[in-house]
Amino acid sequence: MTTTLVNMGSQTEHADMSATRRADKDSDFSAYMAARQPALYRTAYLLVGDHAGAEDLLQNAFAKLYLSWDRIRDREALDGYVRRIMVNEHNSLWRRAWKRREHSADAVPDTGIQDTYDDGMGGVLWSFIQTLPPKQRSVVVLRYYEQLSEAEIADVLGISVGTVKSQASRALAGLRARAPRSLNPHESGDER
Amino acid sequence: MNDTPLEDQVHDALHRTADPLQRSPLTVSDVRTRARRVQRRRTITAGAAVAAVLAIAVPVGISLTGPPQRSDVQPATQPPAPVITGTVRIDPRGAPTSDTLSVPLLDVDTPSLIADGEVTELPETYWQLTPYLEGWMGVVNNEGAYSWRQLDADFQVLSKAATASRLTVSADGSRIAWAEHDNTGWYVSDVAADGSREERRTPLPGPIEAKVDVVGFASDTEVVVTQTDPADGALTTLRVDGSSATPVPGFVVPWTASSATGVVAGVTRVQDDLSSCSAVIDAQTRTGTPAWSTCDYTLAAFSPDGRYVVGLASYLDPNGSPTLAVLDAATGEAIVDYELIGPRNSVVGIYERVAWEDADTLVVTMASGDRQYVVRLGLDGTVERIIAPGTELEPDRRSLGLAAD
Repeated sequence: MTTTLVNMGSQTEHADMSATRRADKDSDFSAYMAARQPALYRTAYLLVGDHAGAEDLLQNAFAKLYLSWDRIRDREALDGYVRRIMVNEHNSLWRRAWKRREHSADAVPDTGIQDTYDDGMGGVLWSFIQTLPPKQRSVVVLRYYEQLSEAEIADVLGISVGTVKSQASRALAGLRARAPRSLNPHESGDER
Repeated sequence: MNDTPLEDQVHDALHRTADPLQRSPLTVSDVRTRARRVQRRRTITAGAAVAAVLAIAVPVGISLTGPPQRSDVQPATQPPAPVITGTVRIDPRGAPTSDTLSVPLLDVDTPSLIADGEVTELPETYWQLTPYLEGWMGVVNNEGAYSWRQLDADFQVLSKAATASRLTVSADGSRIAWAEHDNTGWYVSDVAADGSREERRTPLPGPIEAKVDVVGFASDTEVVVTQTDPADGALTTLRVDGSSATPVPGFVVPWTASSATGVVAGVTRVQDDLSSCSAVIDAQTRTGTPAWSTCDYTLAAFSPDGRYVVGLASYLDPNGSPTLAVLDAATGEAIVDYELIGPRNSVVGIYERVAWEDADTLVVTMASGDRQYVVRLGLDGTVERIIAPGTELEPDRRSLGLAAD
């Protein structure tokens, strides 16, 4: 009887500790989400180009972060972890192939919600950025929006620095080829 | 032309687009719900509260037990990988299980495509299949004669070539190359999987009766192929770059190439006992001088970053290889040795088509006893038997292969 009581007490204590840990984790995670969701959403939007896709991508990344939460001690590294999941999921050709299949039968074009301001030029360039292949687009977003170094981008994408350079170079060449003359500083007398 | 102004404009365009967005559409509850779904898909091992976890060292020679220890993405604070000394035994019957698999497979019996947790029936048996444009590119194997089909999203044939080689697909799936011939001769086609650039065609020398096969990408712009002369059976290794084909000396049969490091690996010598010696050779070589060579392994597949190469047994029979090693691709030093064990008096073998799931995880198919298994091998010594839908075959069925390798 005594043994049983001791065991019950131990189990109860263990359950209490688990519940406390879970509450702590949820509290920490919730605080992180509240602080960082808008910024990470912006990255997701730039990667995907529509709100439904951005939400789906970010939800998946947050879910994987949640599952990994207890093992990531360096809280400064959390944004990098989420970004890595997002770009790698976005770049998965198989994932996109299945999405196409899911949508092929009942495709309803996402007209998007225009909630960005635009002075004309940026919008045109953004429309060209959206036509870049996923990996080039990821490099562009990480380099020119997130301001990561080539080495950091290589780490996020799991590719060599040389490939980052070639992807960035091709992306810029593609943009330059598609952009109208007004976007070419050498044609328009860029004032920047 | 100076890129800097355009870079600044790209920077500005991205910020103009994104900065006004102040959205927080997700709640912690949404995330928990998705996490449960992710977790269910990752593993069904009893009692496993699976998170993205750190690699664990596995005692030498001990069959692995416990929950699977991997994640799609390594935690940001991942410590250095533990060093594995000795041999890791692979016993698929008793290994921990995982129901996720990011390497697509084909079941040639059903026929079906196994990818992303789904099994999709195919209208035809494909030897290879990979996403291409808005659909797929598939290869049919008719008793060793290959032909390709371009398919739409629902696997309906859009176009096809009667005589071609297998496909080679870059590590990230973004580039595809193959060889085919028209009335004038063979050429190598190299395309972007998403159609973002024009198809590049490189004509090959030699007669139309030659047999041509693709080995892999040696850089962003180069593909390594082989050409077998029908007159004497001599095999020539060639590096094609969109305009010309240059011989790569040194190989009896090349097996694999790395676009990350620009090297080719393959058999360089067959010995009297029919075992072979292999080497890693720079694809730009004029002399065929190897960076290193070995007579202990047949070199099978480079990791996506080119850091490692898989070594199978130096003598491969139709049952595959009883061992597998992961070698440092720069030196040939063994990083991890695996040995397949199975029921007594039964055939065991790892099939020679192996795939890297990511920079430090391999997926192999293997026969053990009367069953075929799909197994994930981690450089940290972890072993998992895959039980994703479509991957568990009945006894005596051995119909699973990699969809693209």
